[in-house]
Amino acid sequence: MSWQHYRNELIVVASLLFALVAFGYKMKQRSATVEVSQAMETEIATLREIDSLKKIWADKRISEKLDRVRTLIPSSKVKWQKKGKKLTAVFSELKASEINTLVTKFLNIAVQIEFLKIKKRGRSYSMEIRCKW
Amino acid sequence: MEQVTLDTSVDIMITPQFYTMKKEALPVKYAYQARKVAPSLFEGLLEGHSRYDYFVFWQGEKWVFIAYNTEEITAFLEEKGIAPEKVSKLFFAQQALEHFTSPLPLGEKEALTVFDDTVVVVPQLAVAKQEFVTFNEQFRPNKGIQLERGSALLLSKKQTAMLAVVFSLFGVVWVAEGWRYKKSNIELQAEQNELYKTYPTLQSVYSRKSIAEKYRNIDRIERRKREIIKKISELIFKGVALTDFELDTKGFKAVFAVKNKRVAKRLDELLKSAGFSKASSFSNNEIVVKGKI
Repeated sequence: MSWQHYRNELIVVASLLFALVAFGYKMKQRSATVEVSQAMETEIATLREIDSLKKIWADKRISEKLDRVRTLIPSSKVKWQKKGKKLTAVFSELKASEINTLVTKFLNIAVQIEFLKIKKRGRSYSMEIRCKW
Repeated sequence: MEQVTLDTSVDIMITPQFYTMKKEALPVKYAYQARKVAPSLFEGLLEGHSRYDYFVFWQGEKWVFIAYNTEEITAFLEEKGIAPEKVSKLFFAQQALEHFTSPLPLGEKEALTVFDDTVVVVPQLAVAKQEFVTFNEQFRPNKGIQLERGSALLLSKKQTAMLAVVFSLFGVVWVAEGWRYKKSNIELQAEQNELYKTYPTLQSVYSRKSIAEKYRNIDRIERRKREIIKKISELIFKGVALTDFELDTKGFKAVFAVKNKRVAKRLDELLKSAGFSKASSFSNNEIVVKGKI
């Protein structure tokens, strides 16, 4: 029995095979695209997150901002010790308004608070803060 | 013709009983153009109820048109024991015109001979005086027809062409789509590389993860510390004063001075709603709150 007798079927099978291979190729490329774009999206999201977190917690102007806080309180009430990216500040004889201002200011600056102590003695307050950035 | 038994495929030459022939000098160049006009040439000559196929070839200075009924030929061959799948090619006697230099015997009573440039069947008596030629390989023309396989036939030419075109079209479309996806993959990769150029320190997955983790922790802990301080400050109201507050990396402690039991009860409620738990009950007009970061 010659293959020529099945020529029609062979042609159809060959074209069907071609279509199937083409479909496989398309699906493979499509899943690769989905994979790459998903990975890209995750990476971009991570990069953006890192970027925005760095902007907050590794802000280069933190030192400047802290210096400005120091000027809010009379120097007689402040012991200020700044070394590199670390600060230890002790405030004494503070009024209620002053302690409120200080706490608000420190909380608004993106420093990592390592220690904070507030004490009320009579009508005045004392405060100690150790932070880094 | 006698019954035959075949083990292998054979080529068969069809005698004029199985076809109708016409010769025309048409002004066309190609056989496929001539084939288009074939049905109109045989109009009125063929039996209306039968389906005919046409074979066209160039002979001498004219186009030769042959109309044949595949079903009739197939039925005859099957009757003689030749299954359609045993037939490789079918030829028409007219195609071998030049080789009929003398009559060719067809069985015992008939013979094939050429009359007016046409191969015809005549009684052997009419050509008895002439010498007969022997049928050999030289009679085999270059072109022939493929016999469709009767009951074994799955797909006709038309169906084959249609299916092949449809599948091929789908194939081409899918290849094109795949190629488009591949192109977009390359573009995405390029975009990704560009992004890494902008952030060279973040090229490694490990460094990216560890940097992200470091800043996420800082963000989470520092936000928690600020939230605690804010909540503690909200607990100060008339009759309540914060006398001591301590916060470090692990936890916090707040001491509230409370005016009386009624205020203490109110503070207790506020502490609960803020999610804090008391470290000591109300004594010496003080409430102590402790917690972890």
